[in-house]
Amino acid sequence: MATLDLENICKSFGPAKVLHDIDLAIRDKEFVVFVGPSGCGKSTLLRIIAGLEEATDGRIVIEGRDVSREDPVDRGISMVFQSYALYPHLTVFENIAFPLRVQKMTQQDVNQRVNRAAEILQLTDKLTLKPGQLSGGQRQRVAIGRSIVREPKVFLFDEPLSNLDAALRGDMRVELSQLHRELNATMVYVTHDQVEAMTMADRIVVLNGGRVEQFGSPMELYHHPATKFVAGFIGQPNMNFVPGTVVEANGDGVAIDTVDGARLVLPVDRAGVSTGDAVEIGIRPEDVRLGDGLGLNIRVLERLGGVSIAHGALSDGTRFCASLDGNARIEEGVPVGLTVDPACAHVFKADGTVLRRQAAPALVA
Amino acid sequence: MTELTQEIAVAERTKRRKLPEAWFAWMLVAPAIIFIAVIVAWPLAETIRLSFMEADLGGEEFVGAANYADLLDSRKFHETVVRTFYWMFLSVGLKLILGLIGATLLNAAIPGRALFRVLVMPPWVIPIAIGCIGWLWLYNGYFGLLSGLGQRLGILDGPFEFLAYKQSAFYSAIVTDVWVGTPMVTLFLLAAMQGVSRDLYEAAWVDGAGRWYRFRRITIPQIMPVLVSMALLSAIWTFNSFEIIWILTEGGPRGATTTLIVDTYKTAISNYKFGEGAARAVIIVILLALFSLIYLFFLNKVNRKYGVK
Repeated sequence: MATLDLENICKSFGPAKVLHDIDLAIRDKEFVVFVGPSGCGKSTLLRIIAGLEEATDGRIVIEGRDVSREDPVDRGISMVFQSYALYPHLTVFENIAFPLRVQKMTQQDVNQRVNRAAEILQLTDKLTLKPGQLSGGQRQRVAIGRSIVREPKVFLFDEPLSNLDAALRGDMRVELSQLHRELNATMVYVTHDQVEAMTMADRIVVLNGGRVEQFGSPMELYHHPATKFVAGFIGQPNMNFVPGTVVEANGDGVAIDTVDGARLVLPVDRAGVSTGDAVEIGIRPEDVRLGDGLGLNIRVLERLGGVSIAHGALSDGTRFCASLDGNARIEEGVPVGLTVDPACAHVFKADGTVLRRQAAPALVA
Repeated sequence: MTELTQEIAVAERTKRRKLPEAWFAWMLVAPAIIFIAVIVAWPLAETIRLSFMEADLGGEEFVGAANYADLLDSRKFHETVVRTFYWMFLSVGLKLILGLIGATLLNAAIPGRALFRVLVMPPWVIPIAIGCIGWLWLYNGYFGLLSGLGQRLGILDGPFEFLAYKQSAFYSAIVTDVWVGTPMVTLFLLAAMQGVSRDLYEAAWVDGAGRWYRFRRITIPQIMPVLVSMALLSAIWTFNSFEIIWILTEGGPRGATTTLIVDTYKTAISNYKFGEGAARAVIIVILLALFSLIYLFFLNKVNRKYGVK
């Protein structure tokens, strides 16, 4: 049962506080992704879990044992670095065997564990090569191999795919997900790429400015973002935010006049807003279709085949992006009307928090 | 049409005026070639020519390989060669060991590290002559700090002239040479150590490797190419180190600190035997060339083993 609990983790570098009271309970065998923009503290948090940094305050509990003051090696974790951190002068075999050599394991056991890891990672025919002779993806696998042989309770990954090209990154995502299933281990993965987070995670922690914005499953974050930040961060292309004013709030929902002049009645809880409040309507690009409603002046049109992404602005200048049918009859420079599905729209108060949606799509477990 | 014909004519004239490409290339490298010829090639050729002459202030006379034959027969010269290599290996060995220790300490995350890095520099930065005069005073039997300290601590019975006895003069000169040469080795090794990715150490730490293990399995292999290059450069400089010995002992007492370079200087410049001096110089070149060849072979091997990034 490799659970990982973070209790009130705080971290300051001098006067700068980079992590504020982080509380997370990560379950056994769970794949949790920390995601957030640069400087949000996600790597620092991972390094604190690893023991490479000491938390200013708070506790790290692995499998029910407080490891906050222990050396990394005693915590039962292993870590894959962004740079892979392979030893250039050692062969692939010796790189993978490094932690076992440190433990002074017998040669027979070393061979057995390294060969097994190499098999899982398809590196068997590369064991005698040096890291310099490998491709980016293979180096990545060697780094993972090195963490597998230790048989840790918790695997930590620090942006392991960011040095790979786009195509390889896609392949490695699938491989890592498969690896997680094979090893059946608890994994914590840091990335700034929301696609990696969405595709691999059982649950995602969205960090912003050293605080947890939201912790939940990918689809929960997509359909029920707790804040405007999460809503803007999760989903590709990013969610649009259209300023508006509440004109009526009752049990059925909230009626909002957009600056564009359109009136939308959205089925959200009215708690916390009253007539005249300034709000923002969050509309995902994929939740609009051609029709009456908002007027969009298309400035740039990206035809991706299956879909067409139209970038432009509403009549008041608010930037807006719509993901439409691949064959939609639209053109750059020609205004189009967009219909918004009210059930799919989100409403954010001025402080960035969301009004709960009454009619949300069924959650995918 | 006429315009086009004219243009073609102009183009052809320009083309004819242009130098061939190879000529142009030679012109570009000519300054460097002339420079090397004047600074290196000509003096070297002249030295080789002189080494077959009996030459003094009175003139030159061709003697064939007689100068070399004399040297090969001379026991004193053999001793000088052995002493020079002993001087070189001992001094370079000490410089590398001390440099490695110094670089490791300076690379450690200790407060005031920047200050220590500056404090390492003086032996290297101040002119060698000035440094050596300082050491002359330190080694002085009557006024010197070392002799005084030795007496205070009861190690010495009375004043001890460090540079007056064969053994002590030789090792004193080594100490000064190491003092001058260590800072540069330290700084080069420090630069190499700072080039080692922090991730490697962190990864090893996560895997449970202690300080000594990390030093042995990561630091040393990672700085090995620089360490080996430094050893070669330092060996050549130490082999040819002249000022320190000349200022401290002028090669004495009784030849105890006479290395090949000092011997060459004494023969050619002090005793005006230009031909014999030139023969010694040529032998130095040959010995160093051989030494460098062996070394480069070794360096290549090290680079192949450790250099693959």
